[in-house]
Amino acid sequence: MADNNVVLSVQNVTKRFTGTIALKDVSIHLYENEILAILGENGAGKSTLMKILSGRYPCNEYEGTIICDGKECKFYSTSDAEAAGIAMIYQELNLELDLTVAENIMLGNLPKNRFGFVDWKKTEEIAKEALAKLNADIDVNVTVRSLSPSMQQLVCIARALVRNPKILILDEPTSVLTEKETRNLLSILRELRDQGLSCIYISHKLDEVFELCDRIIVLRDGHYINTYHKKDGYNSGKIIEDMIGRKLEVMYPTVEKEIGDEVLRVENFKVSHPYSFGKNIIEDVSFSLRKGEILGLAGLVGSGRSELLNAIFGVIPKVSGKVFLEGREIDIRNPWDAIRFGIGLLTEDRKKNGFVGTMSIKHNMTLTVLKAIKRLLFVDFRKENALARRYFDALSVKAPDMDTLITSLSGGNQQKVILAKWLMTDLKVIFLDEPTRGIDVGTKAEIYKLIGEMAKKGISIVMISSELPELIAMCDRIIVLGRGRVQGELPRGEATEVRVLQIATNTQ
Amino acid sequence: MFNSIRKFIGRFLLKQESSIILATIIYMIFVTCINKTFISPGNLFNIFRSTGFTLITTVGMTFILITAGLDLSVGSVLALGGVVTGLAFKAGMPIPVALLAGILMGTFIGAINGAIIVKAGIPPLIVTLGMQYAARGLVSVLTQGVPIYPLPENFMKIEQTKFFGIPTVVYVSVIIAIIGHIILTRTAFGRAIYAVGGNPEAARISGINIKKVTFVIYVITSTLAALTGILMAARLGSAEAAAGTGYELTVICASIIGGTSTFGGMGSIIGATVGALFMEILTNSLTLMRISVYWQNLVVGTILVLAVMLDQYKRNLILRKSVRR
Repeated sequence: MADNNVVLSVQNVTKRFTGTIALKDVSIHLYENEILAILGENGAGKSTLMKILSGRYPCNEYEGTIICDGKECKFYSTSDAEAAGIAMIYQELNLELDLTVAENIMLGNLPKNRFGFVDWKKTEEIAKEALAKLNADIDVNVTVRSLSPSMQQLVCIARALVRNPKILILDEPTSVLTEKETRNLLSILRELRDQGLSCIYISHKLDEVFELCDRIIVLRDGHYINTYHKKDGYNSGKIIEDMIGRKLEVMYPTVEKEIGDEVLRVENFKVSHPYSFGKNIIEDVSFSLRKGEILGLAGLVGSGRSELLNAIFGVIPKVSGKVFLEGREIDIRNPWDAIRFGIGLLTEDRKKNGFVGTMSIKHNMTLTVLKAIKRLLFVDFRKENALARRYFDALSVKAPDMDTLITSLSGGNQQKVILAKWLMTDLKVIFLDEPTRGIDVGTKAEIYKLIGEMAKKGISIVMISSELPELIAMCDRIIVLGRGRVQGELPRGEATEVRVLQIATNTQ
Repeated sequence: MFNSIRKFIGRFLLKQESSIILATIIYMIFVTCINKTFISPGNLFNIFRSTGFTLITTVGMTFILITAGLDLSVGSVLALGGVVTGLAFKAGMPIPVALLAGILMGTFIGAINGAIIVKAGIPPLIVTLGMQYAARGLVSVLTQGVPIYPLPENFMKIEQTKFFGIPTVVYVSVIIAIIGHIILTRTAFGRAIYAVGGNPEAARISGINIKKVTFVIYVITSTLAALTGILMAARLGSAEAAAGTGYELTVICASIIGGTSTFGGMGSIIGATVGALFMEILTNSLTLMRISVYWQNLVVGTILVLAVMLDQYKRNLILRKSVRR
């Protein structure tokens, strides 16, 4: 490809946020009739780059130049970028659910008739035309709410297309789509490319990227790392190494422990999708867990890891599935059933459902054991104080005293309080959903140590984490979820980031 | 010495009840300066008696408000409780049976409220607004708009007897408030009420049966409202169809002015009690100062909104600054 075919060129762009550099001296070219993938882990700088291209970050807030069609462009807002022919499709579909398809497609530039009213006939015509280009058979007069996610995605693309863009940027467009819908979208994108559109495609799903994209650029920690061409063939191992490219820090504990017999067995779990009606996020998952074992659940965002654990614990309903505890089938319909059987759940989002913000550290800790510390109807304050004090000290929660409100603690200390809440119960199994999210490095190491100690005491642990190094270092075994099923299982030693990602993205 | 006083005041100001206690004291001094009759025994007697009627239901309402719920049906349930008891007398039932019938009617209405809120997941505002109309309608059907009287002499004595110069209703309300305070601060159930109000999802995941807690507090509140209605009928000597109109607002105001947060998770019976007292003092004093009834509602409304603004400001302060002592 010759240089004169360049439609968009990013030159030496550096973007700083207070204290950190999100992008450092990155230069990228996009050619005509090309689909370019940009890959990288969370925090690699992909979304920062896209926000620069779509005008979300105004041009006076970063260094470097953007050249569009041979002319230097300065974007002060998203409409400047749109005027230059760049259209962006975001990960979260930003549609007005209760407006019609036609209204959504034309929103922001509805055609007007000579009286200044909206020309509905023309609106429908343009919308129909745009959808026809996508081979989408959608009635333009129905509300967007009634459409499936994939159709909504198409409406988003149609909306971008009516603005006649030269460049289309798609951020994780297939995260809500089924396999078949994904195929359809990919073939549409290929057609659009052949009609002369250039695309930048961002996705974590490597298999899709390998199939669709002509070229791959890898970013890591804000730096440009490497370019791969389709004609040379993609090497998934090498690309993933480029994406990860860092050493494991020594902050994980080494625990001598014995793994005993099976404690928990989950059979044929099926859980419905939280956002998409009539779909299952978990189709059929079975696994078993042994005494003192740390089992990791890996998988991409949207693979249903959290939903699986929440359904087992009784927080959300399951469609079907059985749970066996120590060989006996148990029926969990509510969290308190699960707690009675000795199961605990540390939730993904502390603030949302991990702690009660209006309560003190002490009261948050003893919420799970109110039944155990009451005499008749009354809370036994002496027992409560003693119990809370023991865990407050053992976990070295950093706070003036136990009557301090939990909201005034740092994230890591809040997490310790929530862990204490479960440690107080008669715990056999605990589910840890992103136990170190948003926690500083020092406290992280403390939490790892606590997890190790729990396993040593014979508590069985299922752990979810988006940070693969953490999962690999902590877990005795990792199962990888994808497409609602178990895609693979890796024992300690065989689990590497590359292997896990290959299984998760189906590129083995 | 000076420092410790300052510390005490600082901590007192961060307590939820502090503003209402201070406001009540300052206001009482202010009113006394204008009109000495305010602190005459006779007037205080009146204030305490009316406060009693407000306070009984305010205890239940405070439970509900702490869970971020609401009950608008208490005024109608109050009338229903009195009317059912009155009808029981007419049917020739003995006093204990008639009392029980009225109280159980309240329990029953509360159970319906609670069940619909918990099972159908409809917001309490809607459910209890519907019940406000339905219960009032039932009262009209039962009475045909005609007050039920005369009521038995012995029944009327229940409210009108005074021990040490203080009417029964004051004793009843204070006992209920003390029980309510103990439930809220010392029992596992009380802890659960706070947890449900502070973060229902976290409470549920911690093993608290939030549906059961919610159901029970609506039952308690309606039962207390019916009890208030019976005492009111005993005081007036007749069960009126229009009794308790607007009562729900008085009760909600008392609780909120007493520092109960409408966002849930915060509140106390001590605060609510002072709140109920403040509401009575306010209306009583406005009358003493010869301010027209037309103006009174305007004053009460303004004070309610100011109280909620203060609550919001303080809630932020408490949640953020609790570490510094």
